[in-house]
Amino acid sequence: MSAQSGIELYSHIVEVLITGVRVTIEVTLGSLAFSMVVAALLAGCQSLGGRLARALVQIYVELFRAVPVLTLLFIVYFGLATLGIRFDSISAAVLGLGINGSAYCTEIFRAGIAAIPRGQVEAAYALGLGRWQVFRLVILPQAVRLVVPPLTNFAVQLLKNTSVASAVAAPEVMLLARNLVNETFHSPEIYLSVCVVYLCISLPMIRLASWLEHHLGAAEARP
Amino acid sequence: MIEHLSEWMPQLWRAAGDTVEMMVVSFVLALFIGAALAVMGASRMRALSSAARLYINVIRGTPVLAQLFFIYFGLAEMGVVMSSYQAAVIGLAANSGAYVAEIYRAGIESIPKGQLEAARGLGLRGLQVARFVVIPQMMTVILPPLANQAVILIKETSVASLIAAPELMLRARDLASEYFMPLELYVVAGAMYFLLAFPISMLARVLEVRLRVYR
Repeated sequence: MSAQSGIELYSHIVEVLITGVRVTIEVTLGSLAFSMVVAALLAGCQSLGGRLARALVQIYVELFRAVPVLTLLFIVYFGLATLGIRFDSISAAVLGLGINGSAYCTEIFRAGIAAIPRGQVEAAYALGLGRWQVFRLVILPQAVRLVVPPLTNFAVQLLKNTSVASAVAAPEVMLLARNLVNETFHSPEIYLSVCVVYLCISLPMIRLASWLEHHLGAAEARP
Repeated sequence: MIEHLSEWMPQLWRAAGDTVEMMVVSFVLALFIGAALAVMGASRMRALSSAARLYINVIRGTPVLAQLFFIYFGLAEMGVVMSSYQAAVIGLAANSGAYVAEIYRAGIESIPKGQLEAARGLGLRGLQVARFVVIPQMMTVILPPLANQAVILIKETSVASLIAAPELMLRARDLASEYFMPLELYVVAGAMYFLLAFPISMLARVLEVRLRVYR
């Protein structure tokens, strides 16, 4: 593409970027699912397990909260490959973002469970409910309300972090943008368009998060 | 690997120093940007407060990597050329500033309106109200999240390696391609980030517990 200007240029840019949105969303949802599953297990260990289990979960959380996503991503993608464990760039991104995210997610779940007054749990036991019943009928319904708003904010964070996956060549929005810049040199227009594409996805999520916060009851903690 | 450590570590420590410097400079800038945004946001002038709101939402809704690329590559194309280090500091500060502004806002909103009216009633002026009533109480609310923001910022400096700004992650990448030992080098780099970030995240937790007493 040669000298283009205005609408034509932007429509070409957006056309290219849109094709990366699918991968961006795939990586976001994949790492969100990974984070939530791992975090559910860890939070379960934390509230039901013994002292050792609690300490191990705490170490996992502190460790992976303090290491940058990019470093984790490089360990998973480039590092593990030297051991013969090879991932394609999308799986590496899901894994790297997921490991980091599971640490944050565990904290969100823990806060949700901790917010339920101890007396309710004791009352439920006194009424003859079993452990699992207490969890399913007393803790879970209330914890979900507390956990959903911070989880939505967490998903926004994940969405933005997927851009880092361009560093391991996962074909998401940011990588396509970088490739397009190398072809056309229209970097200001292209990176502005990138921001607009992300905003189209993230702003509704941010709105939803604050709406949920007001309608489900307050919950703090931004990941 | 052990035999290489003595060659790697001095270089990595120096690079970790660059990371700390980049983080401190952008954090201090972010504290000022955040203050300016918070003041704008609280202004009665509609144009000012919605400009602050717009800025915060755009920053919160876009990846820091896209912001850095725009500042470093995009602005250069438009004639504003800067070094990768300058671009990284400006980008990280502009990004964190938006979150810091939100932290300040929460701090200001935590003070009951009645206190302000009472202070006014006692004859305190605007600045005195800020100095004796608002700011001391606000501190207890904003310090823990500010410490958390500092942790986020330390980790975000790693992204600056993608515009080749000199810091820990860039050094680790260079060494990884030189020695072809990516696993070892990235694990060591990760450990160093942990050493930088963990104490601050502990501080945040201690502050949260300690300062709760005063509320």
